[in-house]
Amino acid sequence: MEVWVLIALAGIAVLSSLGVLLSKDNFYSSLYMSATLIFVASIYAIFSLQPVFVLIVFIFVGAIGIVTVAVAATYRSDPESQFSKPWAVLVVITAAVVGFAIYSYKMLNPEMSSSVIKFELINFMSQSEYLILVLSLVALVVLLLLSVLKMVAGGTED
Amino acid sequence: MLAIDMTTASIIYITSFVILLIGYLTAISSKDVIRLLISLELMFGAVFMALIPLFSVALLANAAFGIAIVTIFTSSGELLILIAAIAILDKQKRDIHTKTIKIGGDRV
Repeated sequence: MEVWVLIALAGIAVLSSLGVLLSKDNFYSSLYMSATLIFVASIYAIFSLQPVFVLIVFIFVGAIGIVTVAVAATYRSDPESQFSKPWAVLVVITAAVVGFAIYSYKMLNPEMSSSVIKFELINFMSQSEYLILVLSLVALVVLLLLSVLKMVAGGTED
Repeated sequence: MLAIDMTTASIIYITSFVILLIGYLTAISSKDVIRLLISLELMFGAVFMALIPLFSVALLANAAFGIAIVTIFTSSGELLILIAAIAILDKQKRDIHTKTIKIGGDRV
């Protein structure tokens, strides 16, 4: 049953990403992109990796994704894109070859396919190390924000 | 809780690969930098998905969690820089099409 949920989520994620490619309007492309990332995060959730799910949804979709949607909405008056059909054919062929390779590996190595490993996400770090990691990453983001502010301010002087 | 065996790992890797290729396809067919930004975010989504099987190895689970945290923060920072670059490009060139990016390097 859970495998079917995984297949459904993966299928919807692929369909959403196809929406990014096929949509001519940047605004709808960014919405499809956000949906794809939410479905990718949902796959983390069904493996009981809620911390990563929260990080992806809050930081990646909630912050960066929303900024992208806002930027795309600002510049949406240009629904023009070029879609290369030969490249699309190549993408489908490559995906089929890789998919068959992974499937045949499972068929040729049945002893590998029976080894089920469960997650054990305990004792990630000591409390102090975890605090230092989070502080370092927050400091990185603050420095990046300051750099961006400086860059944008410098860009307006011209 | 769903455990990872070869079937689920295959589903995850194939989906990740397909999303990555669609991201590449979007990037090479983009005419403006906004679509380039969207395609980059899609590629990062594929990378996040490819990290999931790392959690299945008991010895690597903690390391995988650390890798996921660092990947999310650094990719967000990279995209933030790109968004700022788009704002600067628009202010300086009054245009966001990739054909206008010629100075200082190759044509995008």
